Amino acid sequence: MRGTSFTETMLGTVRLDTADPVRRIRLDLRAEADAVLRPHRTTRARIGGHIRITGLADDPDATGELEISPVARRRIRYRLTFTADGRSLTLDGWKSVSPRHPVKSMTVLPFTLYEDGARIGGGTLRFPVTTGLAPFLLSFRFPRREDPAQYLAPRWDGSPGRTEVWYTTLTDPTTGTGIWLHHELVAPTDGSAPHAHGWAAAFPPEGEVRHVRFGPVPWSSPAHGFTADGVLAAPGQLSGSVGDFQWDLAEQPVSEPLFTFPRWSWRHPVLPAAQMLPAARATYDGTFSDGKRTLTLRGAPGASARIHGQGNARRWAWLHADLGGGDVLEVIAAVSMRPVLRRLPPLVFLRLRHQGRTWPRRAERSAVGLFGVGRFRARIGLPDWTVTGRTLLRRIRIEVTQPAERTLALDYRDPDGAPAVCRNSESADAKILLERWWGHWRTEATWTLQGTAHAEVGDR
Amino acid sequence: MTARGLVAALLADTGDEEWLARVPGRLDTFLSALPGPVRAGVHAAATAVDAYAVLHSGRRLAALTPDERETVLNSLAARPGLLPALDLLKVPVLLAAATERTPAPRAPVAPDDPPLDCIPAAEWPARATADAVVVGSGAGGAVAARTLARAGLAVVVLEEGEHHTTASFGRRAPLDRFTDLYRDGGATATLGNPPLLLPVGRAVGGTTVVNSGTCYRTPDQVLARWSSRHGFHLADGFPARLDEIESTLRVATQPLDVLGTNGLLALAGAERLGWRAGPLRRNAPGCKGSCQCVVGCPTGAKQSVQLSVLPDACAHGARIVTGARVQRILLDHDHPGPPRAAGILARRADGSELEILSPLVVTAAGALQTPPLLRRSGLGGHPRLGRNLSVHPATSVAGRFTEPVTSWAGVLQSTGVEELHDRGILIEATASPPGMSSFVLPGVGRSLRRELEGADRLAILGAMIADRPAGRVLGRDRTLVRYRLDPRDGARLMTAVRAMGRILFAAGAHEVLTGVPRAPRARTLAELDALLTRITPRELHLSAFHPTGTVAAGSDPQRAPADAEGRLRGVDGVLVTDASVLPGCPGVNPQLSIMAAALAVTENYLEGASSNRTSTAA
Repeated sequence: MRGTSFTETMLGTVRLDTADPVRRIRLDLRAEADAVLRPHRTTRARIGGHIRITGLADDPDATGELEISPVARRRIRYRLTFTADGRSLTLDGWKSVSPRHPVKSMTVLPFTLYEDGARIGGGTLRFPVTTGLAPFLLSFRFPRREDPAQYLAPRWDGSPGRTEVWYTTLTDPTTGTGIWLHHELVAPTDGSAPHAHGWAAAFPPEGEVRHVRFGPVPWSSPAHGFTADGVLAAPGQLSGSVGDFQWDLAEQPVSEPLFTFPRWSWRHPVLPAAQMLPAARATYDGTFSDGKRTLTLRGAPGASARIHGQGNARRWAWLHADLGGGDVLEVIAAVSMRPVLRRLPPLVFLRLRHQGRTWPRRAERSAVGLFGVGRFRARIGLPDWTVTGRTLLRRIRIEVTQPAERTLALDYRDPDGAPAVCRNSESADAKILLERWWGHWRTEATWTLQGTAHAEVGDR
Repeated sequence: MTARGLVAALLADTGDEEWLARVPGRLDTFLSALPGPVRAGVHAAATAVDAYAVLHSGRRLAALTPDERETVLNSLAARPGLLPALDLLKVPVLLAAATERTPAPRAPVAPDDPPLDCIPAAEWPARATADAVVVGSGAGGAVAARTLARAGLAVVVLEEGEHHTTASFGRRAPLDRFTDLYRDGGATATLGNPPLLLPVGRAVGGTTVVNSGTCYRTPDQVLARWSSRHGFHLADGFPARLDEIESTLRVATQPLDVLGTNGLLALAGAERLGWRAGPLRRNAPGCKGSCQCVVGCPTGAKQSVQLSVLPDACAHGARIVTGARVQRILLDHDHPGPPRAAGILARRADGSELEILSPLVVTAAGALQTPPLLRRSGLGGHPRLGRNLSVHPATSVAGRFTEPVTSWAGVLQSTGVEELHDRGILIEATASPPGMSSFVLPGVGRSLRRELEGADRLAILGAMIADRPAGRVLGRDRTLVRYRLDPRDGARLMTAVRAMGRILFAAGAHEVLTGVPRAPRARTLAELDALLTRITPRELHLSAFHPTGTVAAGSDPQRAPADAEGRLRGVDGVLVTDASVLPGCPGVNPQLSIMAAALAVTENYLEGASSNRTSTAA
């Protein structure tokens, strides 16, 4: 199920009945529909955006609804509620689509302004075709509308030699403490009974990193997530009580799913392993106690992720960076255990969700390049590791630092019994430079994360 | 002034009367308000007469002496084939002449009208919403608006015409009001042989502003026919609704004190014949006998709907947008089943458009305008839409009396003679402001001038007949009415003319004028009988006043475009509440029937909507 989103800007004039002067009005809207826009049917969308009326209103949080029906109803109707000078006003108008005047009728929006249901004015907005059409058309997106909960259900089908992970990393914005909750199912290769285990860890900015392990315990095959040894990782809820550690967190997804590996590799597990985020960003509320201190979380940013596969890579590095403003970066660089692939440099899967778009557009691009040319590169090491890469018009450089005092090393075993060690820091530092080619490389964005990046380097 | 010579010729202007000099100017003003084709026709006819004068005398009419003009016109009138065309040319000239010769008496100071919430279309926003939109503010639209507004719906009434107050009627000459209050300046006519003049009102209040105020209840046999033969079961509930409408309009029998000589003569003639007759029931309490009903009552006595029904609707929140012609009904096609009404698109006088979204659209644009509106909206698919048109063909006869009658002093439509009503003929003593009668004085030149000067001794009776639905409304953007007079109805008209002659002779008339150019007058009943054997119904001057039945309601989906409850078939959310919804000809002046039908249709809709809500809630 896909939705539709686009942006639209309209300019025009408005006149209030009680005020004689004609005022300029500008509307910058972003529309989001839960269904794919079908022009011959009626599509309803939520709209939000910025409305400016000279001398009267400048409200960046206008909200409303849009009824798009250019053929069935020959109407595109906008209803928008905004605040002007402390008054709550409603803009109600529609474009009346006519096949005789397709351009005019699709671009002119006469509207009426209401206050408490009473008409107080009206005007006309126009879509500027010459300057607005290209951005309007290029803004169209048809994002999938998916329920994050569906990705939390266990995928293990009883096959031996499988591992499945539910992990959550977040940062308490108040104290800067990083939190890591790791829940894992291991179905050994030798066919013995599957077991569940995991750990919880806290990364305070000052002081030692503390962690606690739970399990292994027999796998109980829950339907909706992970349950073992009193620890729960279910849609919207994370809880557990292990040793000194106690946590009870409510998870609120605030972004669409993000597939770090190609989506097909999650649906059809042909790669040795695949990782994805049911929600690229989430917020957490609740309490977390590591025995020494108890944190009360309010809207703590983070994310949950899922791994499903046959085991760990030979070497890997992982980064999850919440860049703020809705942007997020997820990177996995790994060297496979497969016979031929283990000789290759690390394959980099990099997904940057920036301004509502995910770059590179296809997940394979960073790993395999264009027919093997232009792959993204990773230099894995500790305490520093880097990833670089470029597409045709954009390039990125990521430098991650995992200070030893803020890094936790944990060992565990893969389904085949081989030991693996991960060195994780939920309070790592990262510097990210994004550049765009415009005659020469120009900086598009830079982010510096001090202690809020979530990173890991591991091998076996 | 294109027709100065023609006017001078037709009215035998010798320069002796000052008012005659003003007639060409008045005629030009009147013509300028008529639709282009009618105006062009009149100008062409005037030019043709001028050309004949050039051929006949070597000069145009304006350059001829009065005697020479008389010779030219008599030469023309000697050709029987040209007489009907000459008569058509006389109608506007007589209108202008009578207006100048007999100025209307000064109207008394009019009382203030009850308040209406009227908004000119120019001030109405281009985008608006409502719970119900009513197209047309006439008899049907007003009642529908009031019923819906009383039920708590936000109602917007759209009216193509303008709002005219009683005070404004008192300030202006009847002919000036005439061109404003009627569609096409009153020149609407049917196509056919014979053509019928079919004037319809266009103003806030619709035709009720310009009707005679006569209020007949729908006859019982008509209601029974509508219910049993057409399946229009709402007719069963008409009696109680007619009571309510009569109460709203304050309908009462017209007192004799202001009836006028015209009505009294009709009463006297009928009494001497032993025929059933009496003063009419009218919605004009306190009528002063101004005889100006057809151009807007200047005293505010006539309870047209803009004085009686619409104020109540506005008091319950309804708003009236004036000067907005509805172009089409907006439809939503995005769901299974028939399309659903979503509102209307209307056009202002300056060509700009406005839209009102509403889940309910009530069409009350009149029997001549509703079918084209539905066609423009893509709802004209029913094969019977626009057909089944009845118009009450009518003709008039004048009787000359020795004593002055001054028919334009008194009640315009005063006395009803119902002796022949069982045979589909209703005779009503109907005078009019000078020159506005459908009766055309005979003769040209000096004889016409003599008739004009003796017009105050004429009593005028009119008769309308219950006709077969022989008409059809065509057109999408402009209405075109086709009507073929049924032979049975032609015979009824001849019977009606004879009956009116009998009444007039019985009342003491020494001469009866038929209005037929080929056989204009009879001095005895025997002479009239002989005269009537020589003419056919097609030669009569025919008018029609009450178009009905073009979106008839009925239970048979094949025959009735609207269902038995007045909902248009093939669409959700469109009600028909004007004269077009009546299944057939009511046989009487239809105002009460239309209003009762509108009340029944809208009340029935509200009951259905309310029971739907109840069942949904359950």
